Amino acid sequence: MTQTNTVEEIVAQPYKYGFTTEIETEKIPKGLNEDVIRLISAKKNEPDFLLKFRLRAYKQWLKMKEPDWSGLTYSKVDYQDLVYYAAPKQDIKKKSLDEVDPKLLETFEKLGIPLSEQKRLSNVAVDAVFDSVSIATTYKEKLAEHGVIFCSISEAIIERPDLIEKYMGTVVPINDNFFAALNSAVFSDGSFVYIPKGVECPMELSSYFRINSGDTGQFERTLIIAEESASVSYLEGCTAPMFDTNTLHAAVVELVTLDDATIKYSTVQNWYAGNEKGIGGIYNFVTKRGECRGKRSKISWSQVETGSAVTWKYPSCVLQGDNSIGEFYSIALTNNFQKADTGTKMIHIGKNTKSKIVSKGISAGKSKNSYRGLVSIGPNAEGSRNYSQCDSMLIGDKASANTYPYIQSKQPQSNIEHEASTCRISEDQLFYLQSRGIDFEESVSMLISGFCSDVFNELPMEFASEADKLLALKLEGSVG
Amino acid sequence: MILSTSETILSIKDLHASVDDQEILHGVNLSVKEGEIHAIMGRNGSGKSTLSKVIAGHPSYTVLSGSIQFKGQDILDLAPEERARIGIFLGFQYPVEIPGVSNLEFLRVATNSRRKELLQSELDTFEFEDLVKERMKIVEMDPAFLERSVNEGFSGGEKKRNEILQMALLEPFISILDETDSGLDIDALRIVASGINKLSQPSSATILITHYQRLLDEITPDFVHIMADGKIIKTGNKELAIDLEKSGYDFIDKNKKDKEMVN
Amino acid sequence: MKSSTIYREWLDSLPPTQGCLKKEQSLGRELLLEQGIPSNKDEAWRLCNFNRLNSFLSLPIIIKSEDVKYKLPDKDKNSERIIINPNKNQFLNINLSNGIEKLNDREIEENLGKIVKSTNVKNDLSVCLNQASSSELLALKVKRNFNKSLEIVIPSIKEKSISTRIFLLVEEGAKLDLLQVFLGNNHSAQNHLIEIKLESKVELSHGLISLGEEKESSSICTLAVEQSENSKYSLHSIHHGWDYARFEPRIIQSEGEASTIIKNLQVTKSKEQIATHSLIRFEGPNGKLDQLQKAVASEYSHCIFNGSIEVPQKAQKTEAAQLSRNLLLSKRARIDAKPELEIVADDVRCTHGATVSQLQDEELFYLRSRGIDNEHANSLLLKGYYDEVISHLPKSSKKWNFVKKLMKDIK
Repeated sequence: MTQTNTVEEIVAQPYKYGFTTEIETEKIPKGLNEDVIRLISAKKNEPDFLLKFRLRAYKQWLKMKEPDWSGLTYSKVDYQDLVYYAAPKQDIKKKSLDEVDPKLLETFEKLGIPLSEQKRLSNVAVDAVFDSVSIATTYKEKLAEHGVIFCSISEAIIERPDLIEKYMGTVVPINDNFFAALNSAVFSDGSFVYIPKGVECPMELSSYFRINSGDTGQFERTLIIAEESASVSYLEGCTAPMFDTNTLHAAVVELVTLDDATIKYSTVQNWYAGNEKGIGGIYNFVTKRGECRGKRSKISWSQVETGSAVTWKYPSCVLQGDNSIGEFYSIALTNNFQKADTGTKMIHIGKNTKSKIVSKGISAGKSKNSYRGLVSIGPNAEGSRNYSQCDSMLIGDKASANTYPYIQSKQPQSNIEHEASTCRISEDQLFYLQSRGIDFEESVSMLISGFCSDVFNELPMEFASEADKLLALKLEGSVG
Repeated sequence: MILSTSETILSIKDLHASVDDQEILHGVNLSVKEGEIHAIMGRNGSGKSTLSKVIAGHPSYTVLSGSIQFKGQDILDLAPEERARIGIFLGFQYPVEIPGVSNLEFLRVATNSRRKELLQSELDTFEFEDLVKERMKIVEMDPAFLERSVNEGFSGGEKKRNEILQMALLEPFISILDETDSGLDIDALRIVASGINKLSQPSSATILITHYQRLLDEITPDFVHIMADGKIIKTGNKELAIDLEKSGYDFIDKNKKDKEMVN
Repeated sequence: MKSSTIYREWLDSLPPTQGCLKKEQSLGRELLLEQGIPSNKDEAWRLCNFNRLNSFLSLPIIIKSEDVKYKLPDKDKNSERIIINPNKNQFLNINLSNGIEKLNDREIEENLGKIVKSTNVKNDLSVCLNQASSSELLALKVKRNFNKSLEIVIPSIKEKSISTRIFLLVEEGAKLDLLQVFLGNNHSAQNHLIEIKLESKVELSHGLISLGEEKESSSICTLAVEQSENSKYSLHSIHHGWDYARFEPRIIQSEGEASTIIKNLQVTKSKEQIATHSLIRFEGPNGKLDQLQKAVASEYSHCIFNGSIEVPQKAQKTEAAQLSRNLLLSKRARIDAKPELEIVADDVRCTHGATVSQLQDEELFYLRSRGIDNEHANSLLLKGYYDEVISHLPKSSKKWNFVKKLMKDIK
């Protein structure tokens, strides 16, 4: 057996989160029209401005065309065949965890996210989202003592309409792109974080997204605001059961940092990727963008992308404030027929703005893994700098690794540097490790972790172990 | 230290091997017993490095015929890691750099895999750090090298010391050191050689593959073999190495000619 | 006037299809009609300054033969010079020295258009424009015993647009130095389509000097090269002085096992736009590529680079390196660089890099601290920057005096 074959086998792992939860679900009928949007808004008791926001977005969406620019082919989504609202049958949100359906708590525990007071993680507050609704948020009271708001976006709409009206749609405008417009019209739930002036959030915040229904689109919406000198680290995790059909996930995430504020946003994306024949899996079409509005503010994206049948995702930073900083650290692992097209945009507007991009793509099977990025330095961004590094690793000779790093500069007092390389697991490195008694599988896993170490080093502690576990999970298995 | 009762550690019989469909080894015979130090000398391309890679099980090399036995066990079907675990160690001529993989972590995983084979308990991070720091003294290595990636950015001498450190941790029964002396200055050579000497045990053996006499001034071999065209063509004691240093490899050619004339 | 109208008028102004390129002409015209003028929604044309493209299309294609006067530097003794003055039917009775001859009709039929077709570029406007309008073909076979260097000079004609078509077949084992020179003229346009086929073991060193003139000169050039195994192709080119220029080198290593070197320099000033869109594809194993793209943009100008490298499954053990280095000298100038790497073969070594910056302050300071004034230090550094490409051009290129022009234009 050749070496690549066995490496391929190691990478091909069954999906461990593919179970479904049997729970009575309230769904609205399939299809999308103005009435559906009014219905969603009414179910959530939304204020009038938000309904108007949704309807404006819907009208824009009707005028827009589904994009096909990235050269990724996928079977088109029938938008009238989707359910736009699904929720486990219970009152919108329970006051206490004791009242939450134990099946739901069990589901999250099975996913490694215990919510109950005895078992929950001690240093991470969790917002758990099941299909279209947030079912529980832990440590809310403790966070409130510091003035930190961490709740579902539906709650925030009711409790803090002022903040929602002020910020929602200002980073990702409703007509930004096809999927952002769709999300703005029908978004169901998601997380809301507000860190007031001068507050350093006392614990990690984390949202966990679970798609359960097969025919339900998930349109979550997340908004994080860090006021002057505030800082927060936020983690996001995603899984879904295995279905033969493709489920649509079109999220919008908006981040805002004011002067001297910092947001660190990390994602472990492990949606169901489809089977080894390429059937089923999530379409993950996500718009994530942060605006460094304040001086010396910082937004840092890190992501470990291992799931989804098709991913289009470009977490971006708009560096408006002078001396602001944008970062993007990414690991994308694709296998079988997965297609991932991911990267970032760093838009330098203010003076002395800095950005750093580190991307590691690993492609196996017949998958297609692309880095697509833009670094743009505007005429007023004097003294700005960017450094990008994009490395690809190929496993087997049927996967493809593409790199499209686009750079654009209009400012001579600035500096852009880009480096990229493509490699495979080197036979010599593998032999070296093996000749010291380390078995094949562990050697491969060590080399892949080593390849990704630049990104691992940037992840928050809690997240790094989760990410390492996830990669190990994908890699563990029998050597033929 | 060689006793007639010593156990044979490595026994190679009529070994033929190829790489890229080209036969490099044309029938190597070699027997190594406990406590012995062997030196294999020869020109570039004579097959010395190939022999060492074949013993360690490099997947690019194919054994065409012959056998290799380690302590009476046929090892040709064993994976490289299995050979390492039972006590075969190859010190590389050019140790590869592995960016991103921590040297400390690598050494620990390797050491534990050997310990497991020997039915010894696995070491946790703290225990291992104590052990590795102690062993680093043998090769006068700075503990700072533990924090770096495997061999990445190491100088030639540092890489070779890292190899001997691995030997010190894995405690193999047989160490095959492929041109460990190449690229070393006098001081580094002395440190590496003294490391090898300190590590030699009555129950283990060493094969030194080298071009030059100078390593053999530091480590005295019991046997010296000369390799040419994929075969061991002459075996003697340390005097042979000294002769070779004096008269160069020309006598091999002479030997060959004589043979041809006989034929 | 609207782009589409100008486009249509240009098409209408073409003479009836005729001559040895009759088939090509109808093919090109059909395609142009079918696909229409590209817009900034087509990725390959997104950054194109369409006003400039319109000016290009507004100049009349030369039809009748005219005498054009131009002063050219003397040719080297050891070089064969061909001056292309379109529509003089000059190639019918051309005298060629030993080792170089015209292709016969069968060879033309077998080869023409094949290489450019295999590059498979979507919405291939540059090529179609040429196919539609070129009326004469220079098709040469360079043999092993050709012992001179070859120079092909293409001057422009004032207030006219010219289209030239060249096919070169370099026979197995031949070694050739080729220097091509494009010269602009005030209010002139050029469109070139060059196909070169390198048989096995060929070594071709290709220099290209493309120099525009002050007032509205433009140039579109597609260079399609097919390399057989064990061939070596090196291209060193410089583009400067065009109001609008677009250069599309496309290199196919059809069997792999070949080596390609590309060093391309583009330098812009005032409101010029110069774009290079390169494509290198490996269709067999063990191919090598060393690509360096340099650009200098000053004043209000715009430099564009789009560099595509394709390494499909059959191209194992490819080694490809691409580096794009850009100097942005003014606040009003703009640089766009977009490398595109598509890799399927796993046992390959591919790297690419890109930088955009200005001249390094430390280097400037170092020179100034040795008593060199700012302006002089600047031009010294620029010259050093150009030199990485220019130093590889054939010696005979010096006569064309472009370095002086560069130094005068960019400070």
